[in-house]
Amino acid sequence: MAQTTFPAESPAAAPAIPKARRRLPFARALDESRFFPTILLGPVLVFFIVWNVVPLLWLLGVSFYRYKLTAAREPRYVGFDNFIEIWKSSEVWGLLGRTLSFMVLTVGGATLLGMVLGFLFWGSGRLPGRRLALTLLFTPMVLPPVAVGTFYRLILDPIFGIANFFSEKLVGQRYDFLGNKDLAFASTIAVDVWMWTPFMILMTLAALASVPKAELEAAEIDQIPWLKRVWYIILPNGKFILMLGILLRTIDAFKTTDLPYLMTNGGPGNTTEFVGLSLYRTGFEAFQMGDASALAIITLLVAIAFASIYLYVLSYRETRAQLK
Amino acid sequence: MNAHPWRQRLYHVVLWVVAIVFFLPVLWIFLAAFKSGGELVSPNPVFLFKPTMENILRVVREPNFLDYLKMSFILSVGSVLIAIGVSFLAAYSFSRYRPTGTNFIMFLLLSTRMVPASAVVLPIFLMYNVLGWSKTFHGMILFYAMFSIPFSLWILKGFLDGVSLRYDETALVNGGSRLHTMFRVVLPQLKPGLVAAFIFNIIFVWNEFLFNYILGGKGTTMIPVLLATGVKQGGMTDWSFVASVSFIYMLPPILAIYLFQKYLLVGMTFGTVRGEV
Repeated sequence: MAQTTFPAESPAAAPAIPKARRRLPFARALDESRFFPTILLGPVLVFFIVWNVVPLLWLLGVSFYRYKLTAAREPRYVGFDNFIEIWKSSEVWGLLGRTLSFMVLTVGGATLLGMVLGFLFWGSGRLPGRRLALTLLFTPMVLPPVAVGTFYRLILDPIFGIANFFSEKLVGQRYDFLGNKDLAFASTIAVDVWMWTPFMILMTLAALASVPKAELEAAEIDQIPWLKRVWYIILPNGKFILMLGILLRTIDAFKTTDLPYLMTNGGPGNTTEFVGLSLYRTGFEAFQMGDASALAIITLLVAIAFASIYLYVLSYRETRAQLK
Repeated sequence: MNAHPWRQRLYHVVLWVVAIVFFLPVLWIFLAAFKSGGELVSPNPVFLFKPTMENILRVVREPNFLDYLKMSFILSVGSVLIAIGVSFLAAYSFSRYRPTGTNFIMFLLLSTRMVPASAVVLPIFLMYNVLGWSKTFHGMILFYAMFSIPFSLWILKGFLDGVSLRYDETALVNGGSRLHTMFRVVLPQLKPGLVAAFIFNIIFVWNEFLFNYILGGKGTTMIPVLLATGVKQGGMTDWSFVASVSFIYMLPPILAIYLFQKYLLVGMTFGTVRGEV
């Protein structure tokens, strides 16, 4: 009797253990592999090596040669000559100075305006049609710089541009916004500020959102004056996000190429030619690959310096957040 | 919070005015797309006019335009899909196993996005010339995939770090394979990150000009190049053409930030700052 009940019982207990899933052989191999984390990294590393490491070495190599793409002559090894030329050339120093003043003015302008407007939009939670309003506000920063550069030429045109229509109405004078040296530089900055102020508004809003509500309410109850609230409560909490925003803008301003290329083509003269555009011209209009590579190496170093500052701030913020 | 309803109303009006002021230049171009040629270049700006579809129809009928638009679409969507695929694998590895050098590789990748475009394209151009990849479709799409990887990786890793390890543990203890855990258990938790990476990478590639101009060829040209070369080819600029092309091309990004507004912050900071606005 006992023998008949025993086998009857075991199937009842069995369903608790599911039948082992049949697995593909490669899946099993993966499961057992010690190198699983490395295998996952493989594709990205391949991309990184083929599109970053190899080109970088290539660039480094070419920067030691006198290499004109259109000339029939073979590239000639010249050692550090290209770098020495850049160091001695007043043009390059002028270019760097111009780029720097463009960066300072455009980032400063966008930051100031963006912070003011960001504070203004702080209480916009119950704004009717908020989503549409913010879409209109944030539109400039997602537009193709090429299109922006092009259509601002229409807006700033000396004859039929709408900017001149207003300047004539308001000041009684027409301006050649893109033809005059100083005005062209100012116009490029103005357009860049228009394009990126929304980004700083966004970052300011993010910074304000990171301020603890309790501290703000306490300040409200204690009736602390506004400036003190900004200084003692908002800035200490929001400064990291603001700094990240400013740094990202600085990096981006350093990269500016498309906008002046289309808007002023770097002119008049070279008043609106910044590092990115100059590099493009040396490489793809004059085909001086050696000079361009040396200049590219220098911009690369500057960019990496910016990137490390950015990441330093970012990781500092994260470790501080963990300590809290 | 506000005792005076009229003050709140005034405040709201001010906010709307600010938003509209920022949009005005764009609106001016959008209007220009519907103006006749004479109205567009009149020295006295025309504010009221009878809208015409003429310009847009002409642009759409242009033989190249639709091809270029299609290429913009294929290149941006295709390259971002590749990038997100490979970035997910790497992000999973970085987030779950933290191999040595994680931070360093993440830093290197992000810094590649912070270099001026012309410095990036120069060596790639030299390399592509030797390999014979310039002007090819795969050369272009793989390049854009690389272009999208840093941001995808940062954003996906950020979101993955926010997905509890319990998901992985539960799946593995219950006999799931590693791949099952990754794709069937963890991946579904990652939807917001995937959406944000997808949308914003597409916008970045969609708006890109220089790489496409230098590395692209006949079959791989996108609209920004059409715009730029159309303007640069001496003589008078055809403004109604520029306005209509810009109008058509700028609508998708604007629509995207309307629909995916909550991902705007994480999108515009390469996934380094998270939060909603």
